[in-house]
Formats: sequence, structure tokens, C-alpha cells
Amino acid sequence: MTHYSEEDLTLFFYGEGRRRGAVQLHIDSCPTCAALYQNIASTMKLIATPEAPERDERYGLEVWQRIRPILPVHPPSHSPWWAVNRLVLGGAVAALILAAFIAGRTWPQPQPPSRTPAAASSLASTDVSDRMRMVAISDHLEQSERLLLDFVNAGGQVVDVSNQQALASELIKTNRLYREAADGAGDVGIADVLDALERNLIEIAHGPSTLSLAEFNKTRMWLDASALLFKVRVLSDELHERELSSATTPRKDA
Amino acid sequence: MDATDRTAVLARARGGDGEAFRVLVEQHSRRVFQLAFRMTGNEHDAEDVVQESFLRAYRQLGRFEARANFGTWLYRIVANCAVDMLRAKRSRGDQMNPAGLEEQLLSAPTTGPNPERLAESAEIQRRVAAALGELSPVERAAFTLRHYEGRSIEEICSTLNLRTSAAKHSVFRAVKKLRVALGPLRMAAGTPEQP
Repeated sequence: MTHYSEEDLTLFFYGEGRRRGAVQLHIDSCPTCAALYQNIASTMKLIATPEAPERDERYGLEVWQRIRPILPVHPPSHSPWWAVNRLVLGGAVAALILAAFIAGRTWPQPQPPSRTPAAASSLASTDVSDRMRMVAISDHLEQSERLLLDFVNAGGQVVDVSNQQALASELIKTNRLYREAADGAGDVGIADVLDALERNLIEIAHGPSTLSLAEFNKTRMWLDASALLFKVRVLSDELHERELSSATTPRKDA
Repeated sequence: MDATDRTAVLARARGGDGEAFRVLVEQHSRRVFQLAFRMTGNEHDAEDVVQESFLRAYRQLGRFEARANFGTWLYRIVANCAVDMLRAKRSRGDQMNPAGLEEQLLSAPTTGPNPERLAESAEIQRRVAAALGELSPVERAAFTLRHYEGRSIEEICSTLNLRTSAAKHSVFRAVKKLRVALGPLRMAAGTPEQP
């Protein structure tokens, strides 16, 4: 007789899973699965839903008074279509930035004797493209940070990191483009962190998808040793700061 | 407030009207706090999550689709804010402080008034709170949504932006860890132990 797994029975307990009728029939006729199901059900029944501390009708107003002084000054902006898939967008922006950077390097440029309106406009567009690059990298770092946190916080006797691997594979491509753009722009600090990040993303993506606890701890140790998470977080904060200050500082060349 | 009013308030809030956003905050705060408390297990952290969630919601209002349900959208933000808070605490090496949750769990009504029963219930809730504190942030979030909030795996996927297999595994791993942690209590209560 084939027994149901703990996972199947857990899902069954929560009213999930396919062929529920068949699972019920099996539990009714199989003492092993019935005992396991009983064990799961009795444990879960020990865990009662906690009642949150009471909040009265004025609570909403209190929350509003707390957040009101710290709400961003600018009203929420509409950013509908491109917000749909940040990974796809990240890749596209990275490719555009890299293309713009290469074009800028290879395109023959006349040296104007003085600053003309065209030069001013070119400066402005460089400024905008630089800002776009910072925003995109900051976004990328945020996603990478989440991935690394997910990875280091995984648990269990056998650690399944297949989801983190899939995301790491996607992030590698974007990371490479940003690193090349940062290298080209002479942003050594950014390029270094992205380089370290890329090596770790490759390790995660190409490693085994399930690890024993010992293997996992070893992997976690080299991640800790490289202080990558810390570096990513620091750079992410720094870019975010830059982003904020460039958004609030009036442009001198406008 | 009827549906037309709600739509109008949302439209105004999306246009940057602070007063309209205040109405939304007042309407949803209590529900947000309840979820935040269940997710974090701690009153103080829950308050931080409430505040951060509304700030995020305000910043992201432009991305909110007018036809969608604001409550569902906000719920997702709160759940993810709570996960971020738990992750941040973990990466700082903070111990989960189950005191708040424990306090509430202890105050839950018990079926028997005798002291032995109360002591047993207190021990159970203490273990539950401690075991919840040992779960990874995603496991805890997925478990809270499934066990306390009654959300389906599909809803958990969409709320936490997880794949189906990841959501299932998170719930499953949480249940498994809780079973291990609560095993001795279950045995004491007379339920047979499973190998």
C-alpha cells in the first residue's frame, strides 16, 4: 500500500490538495496514515488563533497622526505598466544603459569650444541616464538582498534552495550588465560589490538545489565571511540616498 | 461608506490627496494591526509594521490599479512588511520576543477553570510562541496566513510573491517544526506520538 506523505496530509488538514476524497478513504483504511494525520491534526489544534490586543475606534486616527508628519512630500506617482515585472524591466534598463554607455564611448564626438544649448542638453541627458542607472542598480540590489536573506534564512535538515536558485539565475544576467556599465563608468565601488555579488549568485545558481544541513552551513559560512549581505545593504542604502538627494537638489545646469 | 464613495476616496488618494489617504488609514488600521500582530507575535513590532505598511502604501499608491480591492492590496503590503521586519530582526541577531503573543495566548479562554488546566494551557501557549519564534520569516508568514488567517496556498503565493511549491513547502516546514516542538506536550495530553 502506498502511503501519503506528511506534506500531503498537512495539505489535507488545511483543506488543500487534490483528490481529497481519495485521501480521506485512504486515511479511513490505513492505520499508519490515520495515525500520522491524527498527529498532525492534534498538534495544529493546540495552536489557537491569538487575539490581537484591542484597538479602539480612535486607533485609525492615532496611526494617521503618527504617519502624517513622515509621509513623503510628493504625491504618489502613477507608474502603471513598467511596474508589472521588475525583473524584466531591470534587464531592459540594464541593457539600455550598457548600450548607451558603449555608444557614448565609440561615437565620434566633436569638441565644442564652449558650452552650447546642445552641450547643456547632452549634460542633462547624461545626468538623467546616470540617475536612471542608480535607480535601476538600487532596485537590483534590493532584490539581491532579499534573495540572499531568503537563502541564509532557509532551514531544515535538508535545505531546498531551488526557488532561490531560479531567482539567482535571473539576477546574474542583470547583475552582469550593471557591473559592466559600472566598470565602464569608472564606478569602482559599485563594480566591486556587483562583482562579488555576481560570483555568489553564480555559486547559488549552479550549486545543488538541495543541501544537507552541513553543506548548507558551509555555504552560509562563506557568504558570511565575504560580508556580502552587509556590502549589498550599504551600497543599496547609499544609492538610495543619492537617489533622494538628486531628486530634491535643483539641477544647476537647467 | 458605499462603493461609490470608496472609489472616489481611492481616486483622490491616488491623486495625492492627504485627507483621502487619512480616510483609508482610519478605515484599515485595526485590521492591519491585527494581521501585523499575528505575523510578528509582538505588539511593538506590529505597531512598526502598521506604520511602515501605510508609508509603503502611500508611496506605491500610483501602482495600485483602480479596479483592484484596496484591502487586498494593502494586506499584501502588510504581510511583506512583516516578513521584512522579521528578516531584519533575524539578521541583526535579535531573539524573537514572544512575550506579547504569549500574553494574548495566555488570556485566551480555556475550557476548564481549574488551575491544572490553566497551567497546562499556559505551557502550551508558551511553547507555541517559542516555536513560532524559531520559524524562518517566510515560514512564519506562510503559516500565519494559512493557519490563523485561513488563506489558501494560492492566496499565500500571491500575497508573499512565492511560487506554489515554495508556499507549500513553507507551510509544511512550519508545521513540521511546530510538531517537533510541541510533540512532548501532545504526548502529555495523551495523543500518541508518531515516529
